[in-house]
Amino acid sequence: MSIALATRAPRLRRGQVAAIVPTLFMIGAFVVPLIGLAMLSLRPTNDLNTPQPGWTFEQYQQVWDTGYLRSSVLDSLWLSIRVTLTCAVVAYPVAWFLVRTSSRWARTAVFAIVLSPLLTSEVVRSFGWRVVMGGQGPVNAALQALQITDDSIPLLRSGWTVFLAIVHVLLPFAIITLTASLGAIDDALLRASANLGASRTRTFFTVVLPLSVPGLTAGLMVVFSLAMGIYVTPLLVGGATMSLAGLQIQNMAMVVFDQPGAAALSFVLLTVTLVACALIALFGSLTSRRRTRG
Amino acid sequence: MTQGLVEVRDLALGYHGETVLKLDELTVAAGEFVSVLGPSGCGKTTLLNALAGFVTPDAGRILVDGQDVTHVAPQHRQMGLVFQNYALFPHLNVEKNLHYGLKARKVPRDERETRVRDALKLVGLEDFRARFPGQLSGGQQQRVAIARALVTRPKVLLLDEPLSNLDAKLRRQMRHELRELQREIGTTTIFVTHDQAEALAMSDRVVLLAGGGLEQHGTPQELYRTPRTTFTADFIGAANIVKATIGTDGRADVLKRSVAVPEGQGLEAGTSEVALRPEAVTVTAAETPGTVAAEVMSVAFGGDRYEYRVRVDAETTLLASASGREDAYAPGATVGLAFEDASVIWLGGSS
Repeated sequence: MSIALATRAPRLRRGQVAAIVPTLFMIGAFVVPLIGLAMLSLRPTNDLNTPQPGWTFEQYQQVWDTGYLRSSVLDSLWLSIRVTLTCAVVAYPVAWFLVRTSSRWARTAVFAIVLSPLLTSEVVRSFGWRVVMGGQGPVNAALQALQITDDSIPLLRSGWTVFLAIVHVLLPFAIITLTASLGAIDDALLRASANLGASRTRTFFTVVLPLSVPGLTAGLMVVFSLAMGIYVTPLLVGGATMSLAGLQIQNMAMVVFDQPGAAALSFVLLTVTLVACALIALFGSLTSRRRTRG
Repeated sequence: MTQGLVEVRDLALGYHGETVLKLDELTVAAGEFVSVLGPSGCGKTTLLNALAGFVTPDAGRILVDGQDVTHVAPQHRQMGLVFQNYALFPHLNVEKNLHYGLKARKVPRDERETRVRDALKLVGLEDFRARFPGQLSGGQQQRVAIARALVTRPKVLLLDEPLSNLDAKLRRQMRHELRELQREIGTTTIFVTHDQAEALAMSDRVVLLAGGGLEQHGTPQELYRTPRTTFTADFIGAANIVKATIGTDGRADVLKRSVAVPEGQGLEAGTSEVALRPEAVTVTAAETPGTVAAEVMSVAFGGDRYEYRVRVDAETTLLASASGREDAYAPGATVGLAFEDASVIWLGGSS
């Protein structure tokens, strides 16, 4: 007994050290700049947008009063909701296939395709969208060949192209989190459902969907957070004039050099994102709480 | 009960073109309790999956009450399946697990309530209706699984090794409970197991599968008392398989003792195999007239009986027994083995 204790104690301490170091790193890399940003957003500015000593809420007031800043947050929110829901719907069949297929080859192939957006550089991927959706691109050529349109359409300026490009890059996160949850569902439950007379559709909505809620909520949260802050893809595909909070923050911080204003907009964006994630988490825990009890 | 006649005809089951089980004929009468018994890999679970509709046969037909259901989808089969791991829906409480099949079959709400209440009463779980599967013991979960299958009033109840996850004591108790329940409701029941003791204890009839085919079927008593093959004798209850030399005079030499060969079993002169149940071989004092000399290798006390492992000669070791009320012979002691001619089970006959 005493031997066991003696050998165990240092190992525990080593384990704690191994956990403490990354935790401290996360705090240093996330919390400290966040505090700096929060303080910056509360500074007054002079005519040259240079931060001045003192404390004020005027930066937040400015975000609220400036129409294009306020709508950029709302547009980001609306885009993120659409992207998140689309990813969830599209991810289910793909994740289901990955979990259920008995063909190793097919699984590997689909998994590689699913991961491909994450394996390519954001610049390369976005440039690809420009080529495909550009004025002389294959999509416009096809539309004209099919005589759906006579002239080339400015697809790149359409919000739908940006929407598709964002769904494309965020879909892997939804699929990966769902795959984990769907893979944990016992095959016998599906057979039990069929044996009790349920159709496949019924089985999906009464067994598969409720049991995959943990993976679904995790996926929704990741996709939503990333969509709220997305910046490079809309910049390269749609252009810097798009009304999205990420682009506006970049514009304020790097072009106008209004650092406190950019910090305030960042905090508004962060708060909206956190509230939405909290709502998703609440939905998740409400639908699966009973199962985990006992 | 006139419902639930199951007929299997010329069935061939397999995966990826490889045949796992061939069954020319199997009939389960309405209301009968039949065990499908066999070692692992004999195809018994595949047979159950084929009956439930999860495996499509390569050939042959499955009929229920005369209707061909071979290609009917699982959800339209009306077969209640109880899974080995119960497969209760973890996100639904006991009551909702029972409602599941009734809702899927569009049973009206009032009738659902009554039927669920009756089913819970039948398995004695009325007080657990609001519990979730994770909050129940193994035995309780199994009762819920049985109730969930029965509440839809299936034509046939299929049980896939339902007792194998329970501890020994509960298993014994559940054997009786399950049998009493089946008598009460009268539903045709097909029970798949690898445990011969379970099959013998519970069934009207036992179907023994081996090596991808039917080995022997009959009542538990028939299989135990008159196994036709060495495999059956060995698999159903413990058995000593011993060589016998059958002479032309209607007598045979079994363990160096002359035994009368029964007539009408088509046994021919030559070397054959016989089975001797351990309980039919009695250990007595050495050199008792009419006994076979043997040496005790080990002895195990089992309460009412001793079980001995004894050596007759270099090639022959046997399991034998003696009443537990006397003192045991020590390992190394020489003893006499006694058995009656009638207790010898003749294998390999042609009838």
